[in-house]
Amino acid sequence: MSGSGRSSGDIDAEVLVIGSGAGGAPTAALLAEAGFDVLVVEEGPWIPQGALRPFSLQQMERQYRSGGVTVALGRPSIAYTEGRCAGGGSEINSGLYWRPPGTLLERWRDQYGLASLDPDGIDKVLDEVERDLSVQLLPGAASGPSEMLRRGAAALGWRHDEVPRWMTYSDQEPAGRRQSMTETYLPRARQAGARIVPECRAERIEIRNGRARYVAVVGADGTRRRIGFRHLIVCAGAIQTPALLLRSGLRHNIGRTLAIHPTVKLAARFDSPLNVPDDVPVHQVKEFAPQLSFGGSASHPGLVALSLADSWDTFGDRIVDWQRMSVYYAAITSEGHGRVLAIPGFTDPLVTYRLTRRDEAMLGRGLARLSLLMLEAGADEVYPSFRSAPVVRTRADVAEQQRRFSTTRATVMTVHLCSTVPLGGARDQRRGADEWGAIPGVSNVAVNDASLLPDAPGVNPQATVMALAIRNVRHFIESDRFLDGSS
Amino acid sequence: MIERRSIPDHTVITGGAGWLGRALVSRLGSPGSEGLRRGLRVLVRDEADRRGIMALAPEANVVVGDVTRPRDLTTLFQGTHDGVVDVVHTAGVIHPERWSDFDAVNAGGTRNVLAAAALAGVRRLVHISSNSPFGTNPDIGDTFRNDEPYDPYYGYGLSKMHAEVHVREAVERGLDAVMVRPPWFYGPFQPERQTTFFTMIRKGRFPIIGSGAQRRSMVYIDNLVDGVLLAELVVTPPGRGWWIADECPYPLAEIVATVGRALHDEGYDVTENRIRVPALFGMLAEAADRGLQRVGRYHQAIHVLGEMDKTIAVDISAARAELGYEPRVSLYDGMRESIRWCRAQGISL
Repeated sequence: MSGSGRSSGDIDAEVLVIGSGAGGAPTAALLAEAGFDVLVVEEGPWIPQGALRPFSLQQMERQYRSGGVTVALGRPSIAYTEGRCAGGGSEINSGLYWRPPGTLLERWRDQYGLASLDPDGIDKVLDEVERDLSVQLLPGAASGPSEMLRRGAAALGWRHDEVPRWMTYSDQEPAGRRQSMTETYLPRARQAGARIVPECRAERIEIRNGRARYVAVVGADGTRRRIGFRHLIVCAGAIQTPALLLRSGLRHNIGRTLAIHPTVKLAARFDSPLNVPDDVPVHQVKEFAPQLSFGGSASHPGLVALSLADSWDTFGDRIVDWQRMSVYYAAITSEGHGRVLAIPGFTDPLVTYRLTRRDEAMLGRGLARLSLLMLEAGADEVYPSFRSAPVVRTRADVAEQQRRFSTTRATVMTVHLCSTVPLGGARDQRRGADEWGAIPGVSNVAVNDASLLPDAPGVNPQATVMALAIRNVRHFIESDRFLDGSS
Repeated sequence: MIERRSIPDHTVITGGAGWLGRALVSRLGSPGSEGLRRGLRVLVRDEADRRGIMALAPEANVVVGDVTRPRDLTTLFQGTHDGVVDVVHTAGVIHPERWSDFDAVNAGGTRNVLAAAALAGVRRLVHISSNSPFGTNPDIGDTFRNDEPYDPYYGYGLSKMHAEVHVREAVERGLDAVMVRPPWFYGPFQPERQTTFFTMIRKGRFPIIGSGAQRRSMVYIDNLVDGVLLAELVVTPPGRGWWIADECPYPLAEIVATVGRALHDEGYDVTENRIRVPALFGMLAEAADRGLQRVGRYHQAIHVLGEMDKTIAVDISAARAELGYEPRVSLYDGMRESIRWCRAQGISL
């Protein structure tokens, strides 16, 4: 790989990868292993796995964007979280691994004209991902909160599964060691010669004559630099990727089709202590999937309190029982639409999202079904997270919960964001990127992260994001044109 | 393993003059019926209903009374002490004259029947519930599972929910009671409102609100009677409830087209249905229904219209697995049978 044709700047690389999460890390590793000179810039800090307590407020402060407080505006506004650290979301998420269902990939292929999207090929990539991340079931019994999901679903005859995770278990770490990007693909990238620069934020791509020339970056100390490259691959996540492209003047179909899994929550109290402050349940209920899924949320005492906060007058005094409580969610696939907008003069993009009537009905029914499941699991009281919610002790109370529910009263949130630069075939009117993630109209820029998912997958998306990223980067490596025709 | 109990010595039916009540009486009391039983005791509200019941089931013991009056129920159970008694409680009001009847008849009446049944030491009571305590599906592709949270659809739904709550409480106190939940039914013994439905379709005037893709579960009356009798006789834990419906939900447009085809094949002139109403109209009707019911009023046409754009789809797999229920009659065949019944009654469509 020659360096000819490279733009000169303060730093140079053959391939610049922006972002080091589930998209960026495998992208960097595979390119470096194929002999490319790779530079990764990551806005957040490098924090090794195990340095911070999982799902703690301290972790939110250090590894989440804005301490975990980011909001998509709308009625209701939807709170979302983004990882902002080396490894991105993989460092802080639940670690629950879902293969994209075959039917989903087939639908994407047919609906968005993705002729090259081969479900069997993706399956093979996923086999590899599962090995690389040590995806496995728990070696022993599931936690109490997880067991309650299983028990309630079993009583109702609803489909439920223990979801495997990217975790390794040993005598030293019986609770497991998360096989996040800082444990797997990022060390691999480094080993193969990639340079990884944390705390370095990409501000803008400079584009001239249909070609990206530099990326302007700013370091933790405020130092500004320009990075030159031949190829640029943006993997900054479903919010920051479109924001960067928009700030850089790339606007066609960028940031217009944000898809999320809107989520509502409740806390349930059982007759004996079961709270696990630093882990999440491994069971999920997929009876109504993909439209509606149930699972367990992080439940340290602060988050239990937060889930009671919407109706604190009624629920607040129950916080003393937090050890008998755990938090659960109902997530839906949404028919609504969101946007990511870059506002001149502001560092952060404006994010909006609008739920449809059907989404609102689905969230209400979803939360009611989840309450019923909790009663069947043996909860003595259930506390739905919305203003004026009743304490639910009986089936008739669930009806009252449904009657009072509205999304404008609820804390709607999401952790799954995608589809802001959607993949699409040449004839797909809404595509933001071509079938392999390259951005039309500029010769040497591709996107390779959750932004590419054509729409919300209905399952935890990390495996899907990784599989698509690996598929795309292999295509770039194997294609003699790579991103621009000048290889 | 499905285990059935013996036919009881006495079978008590409330709401005997209703749509389902008459179908049950006919199955259990008509000479020559495959399900003929002795010891039928049938509660009807009006003396005028007695003749109709006797015509269907000459041997039946007809009691005139009201489920809202406990004394009438004492009379109903008189003379049943000498044997095994089962009860099918179908009495209820769906399109009431007064809004307050919902609660008085559907909830209060059920509580009275449960109390009388417990006192009489019945073997099992089958309570006829509805889809209405569960509201409507949140999505056109959503299907109610056998066990769902309550989300009652206005006054009727609320009263039927309260009835179910009374059943569950009675089970807690030791009564063997179960619940059958039929959606919209069709078939012989249909009331006037269902005739209107046929006539509107025949004239091409049935308003399909929205896309017509909204799904509705329906149940042919004989399929329902099969399900009710299985719920009575199959050994299950008390307190269970099951959807009893046709094989699968149908898109509303398909229901209308099938009825049109059935009418045509029965020799009626059918005008193709072309009336499509924007979804907004259904929302307005629902809002009007809600407003009226809030002030204690009920208007049948507005209520039905407000519900027509909704999906009410149920899954019968639990009834299949636990009761061995199989719907025997399809929509088309059932609709033809209903049309023939209307003709035989001299009802013009």
